[in-house]
Amino acid sequence: MRVKVILYLLGAFCIFLGLSMLFPAALAFAYRETETAAIPIFLSAILTLGIGGALFLAFRGQRVEISHREGFAITAMTWMTAGLFGALPYLFSGALPHFADAYFESMSGFTTTGASVFTSVENLPHGILFWRSLTHWIGGMGIILLSIAILPLLGVGGMQLYKAEATGVGVSSDKLAPRLIEVVKLFGLVYILITVAGIIALIWAGMGPFDAVIHAFGTVATGGFSNKNISVEYYHSPLIEFILIVFMFIAATNFALHANILRSGPKIYWRNPEFRFYLGLQLLAIILVAINLRFSIYDSITSSIRYASFQVVSINTCTGFSSIDFAKWPSFSQLILVVLMLIGGSTGSTTGAIKCLRIMILLKQGYKELRHLIHPHAIMPIRLGRRTVPPEVVTGAIGFTFLYIVIFTLASLMMAFMGLDIVSAISSVATTMGGVGPGLGIVGPLSNYSEIPYIGKWLLILCMLLGRLEIYTLLILFTPIFWKG
Amino acid sequence: MKVIIIGAGVVGHTIAKRLSSEAQDVVIIEKDAKRIKEISESLDVKLIHGSGSNPKVLMDAGVEHSDIVIAVTDSDEVNMIACLIAGSQSRVPKKIARIREPDYASYTQIFEKDYLDLDFNINPEKAAAERIMRIIEVPGALDVVEFADASVKLVGIKLTPTCGAVGQKLKDLKELHPDHRVIIVAIYRGSDTIIPNGGTVLEAGDLVFAVTVPAEIPNLIKLLGRKEETGNKIMLVGGGDIGFYLAQWLEKRGFSVKVIERNEARALFLADKLTKAIVLRGDGTDQNLLMEENVMDIDTFIAVTNDEEANILSSLLAKRLGASRCISLIDKPEYLSMVSTIGIDVGVSPRLASVSGILQFVRKGKILTVTQLMEERVEAIETVAMETAEIVSRPLKEIKFPQGALIGAVVRENGDVIIPEGETQIQPGDKVIIFTLANTVSKIEKMLMVKPEYF
Repeated sequence: MRVKVILYLLGAFCIFLGLSMLFPAALAFAYRETETAAIPIFLSAILTLGIGGALFLAFRGQRVEISHREGFAITAMTWMTAGLFGALPYLFSGALPHFADAYFESMSGFTTTGASVFTSVENLPHGILFWRSLTHWIGGMGIILLSIAILPLLGVGGMQLYKAEATGVGVSSDKLAPRLIEVVKLFGLVYILITVAGIIALIWAGMGPFDAVIHAFGTVATGGFSNKNISVEYYHSPLIEFILIVFMFIAATNFALHANILRSGPKIYWRNPEFRFYLGLQLLAIILVAINLRFSIYDSITSSIRYASFQVVSINTCTGFSSIDFAKWPSFSQLILVVLMLIGGSTGSTTGAIKCLRIMILLKQGYKELRHLIHPHAIMPIRLGRRTVPPEVVTGAIGFTFLYIVIFTLASLMMAFMGLDIVSAISSVATTMGGVGPGLGIVGPLSNYSEIPYIGKWLLILCMLLGRLEIYTLLILFTPIFWKG
Repeated sequence: MKVIIIGAGVVGHTIAKRLSSEAQDVVIIEKDAKRIKEISESLDVKLIHGSGSNPKVLMDAGVEHSDIVIAVTDSDEVNMIACLIAGSQSRVPKKIARIREPDYASYTQIFEKDYLDLDFNINPEKAAAERIMRIIEVPGALDVVEFADASVKLVGIKLTPTCGAVGQKLKDLKELHPDHRVIIVAIYRGSDTIIPNGGTVLEAGDLVFAVTVPAEIPNLIKLLGRKEETGNKIMLVGGGDIGFYLAQWLEKRGFSVKVIERNEARALFLADKLTKAIVLRGDGTDQNLLMEENVMDIDTFIAVTNDEEANILSSLLAKRLGASRCISLIDKPEYLSMVSTIGIDVGVSPRLASVSGILQFVRKGKILTVTQLMEERVEAIETVAMETAEIVSRPLKEIKFPQGALIGAVVRENGDVIIPEGETQIQPGDKVIIFTLANTVSKIEKMLMVKPEYF
């Protein structure tokens, strides 16, 4: 482990972060929020740039080829550093005077969770609101880039799954382009195109330009920060809700499919087994929730379907916008939402949680065990579309899901120990690990995380990071073997 | 006619034996001196020691005067190179190579004029798999042979005691079902072989060979009373090249397939490539495994491992446990002749399949194919009726046919298939398929005005 290399790369990252803070600072100047936002954000930018520049200059001249072990350390530390410097604008502006609150908000942004400690966001300066959403956008992009650059080093779970499925139409080519940098550029382009399309669509549907940018960032990154206290419900517009449903769905689809559409045409989506599962899961959940709502709280089938579809897509894609206070929904619908929080969207997207592909593999493995009882000598490989999933990928998926459930259980127990009721304890952990945002009970869509004790906030910050880094990358830093020879 | 055969394995040897008995000049090139000595003692052929892919050896064999080169060594590559070199040395009219590797078959352009310029390539495994496929397609059949580009089928079925046709005269059966386009051409009863006439009575236990067109096969099965319902449950032992061909084909045709393979790596390969079949790792002679997988409900049990003794054993075991029909891959001629005696329904030999494939091609002339049935006691001759032949242009009932021979089907030049009756007239140019006892062949040939020299 070469500390100097790590510090050098972190320095480079801080310079990037500092530069990105100049945008909200400039915006704040334009909105004449000099005292409340522009100067504090500018100071944050200067400080971040200064520290980053100092590290960068002090440790330059290193060999930059990193070992896969250093890769893990850099990935985990980059996120923690992002959380740290990203908290500065909240602290300096006085929007969140307490460090834990500021770090929570910042980490929630970068991990594209969208959980907030602000009791009201509507009276915040535009500069701060924009920074909040920009952390989403940067974090969402970072996931795509990191999932390509870092996860292959792991050899387990995520990337192999991703590799197997991303390009997976039966062709054996592993990459979209021969060079990794070309793949990264392609994904970045797709990400930017979806964002621009989202902004245009929302303005067309009647949103103000600032609101449109905030919601587009929150959607494409599957984050969920809004600049309204009651989130999307504020607009009372079925058209806006529909546009957001479409974009949330696109954002939680494997980006490799989007990138491939130019080459293979739209049929590539339908040929992808994970996509079919992801679509089917959401349709099923929408039908169940809509039926439940129709016979409990809404009299019309149209509003049942409208609210059910928005909330199901928002929760399953791990975005976390709300178009209605679903904490008031019957428990059947709420429970479906919690299950969707645990499942999440597709691999290779900005979504969080366990992800559809792993759930599919687990279900197939379960069915295989059943069939094995009838045909004890049969060899039954697990198949996704026309591909056979290698056994180590299946074991990886089982291991990941098990760890996910263990951490979920332990963290829920700890939240309950801190005095949260059972619904709030479970849903707060499920929602932060999945990167969703709102939970149920005291962390419901119209509430926020300000009531959670500080120790609980730190725990939830850890949950966000674990969920975002797919557990292994972070957990591996806590194993003794990682630090030994 | 001068034939050069490269490789004196079982296939090469069998072809050489058949052609030399038909008074052809045969030259064999073989690189194993011991094998040459063995053959020199049994066959009247010219033998050359050397590699068939060596240009000098080919010249020594007299390639520039030869009419056919048949390359049947164990190596695909040697076979291809030998044909290539033979083609470069002289314009050999016909070149035949045995090519096993399935991947070559998917790139057929390499066989074409500009490259290898092969007239015919035969894959014994594929030929055997195709024969098995033809048999599987007809529920209850023990053998199926195709004539005239598959427009005529010969089906062998064993009559059970419960069969409605048992005890009936053939002409009565014909009167009962006047619409059926079916004709019974040979009956195998105990050790007797009968070419039937209208008065022949069917008995239980008869192995009946009937000619029909593909569309009439359901009627044929109804007539001969096998009550196989759908017959779509298949168990396959051995996932080698033949097993894999078969499994893929069976899957595509909607059969329910279980494949038993002993080698773990091969089983994993099969499980990966086959989407619907259940791949089981284990031994085909393991009774527990067969019971576990309900062998008693299996309609066709197929043993196609490389080990013919194991194929025989597992087929017998499956049959005893209740499988309705079993097909075994058997290559040793000694074993093949025992097949029906020991209770195996069908024995399929890849080598013989390739021999008959090659012979059919070699003989292309006036007589299109000669197929041996029932251990060579009956021959099926597919030929084109010549204008001068006795059988042309008058009703069949007026022709005095020798005892022990009959016409099974007539295929008109436009492709129409006629299952002949007394009034049928053969026209010049028709393809005629004649079934005859081996000892009557020469009489038939005279009637057809076809000289023994087929070219």
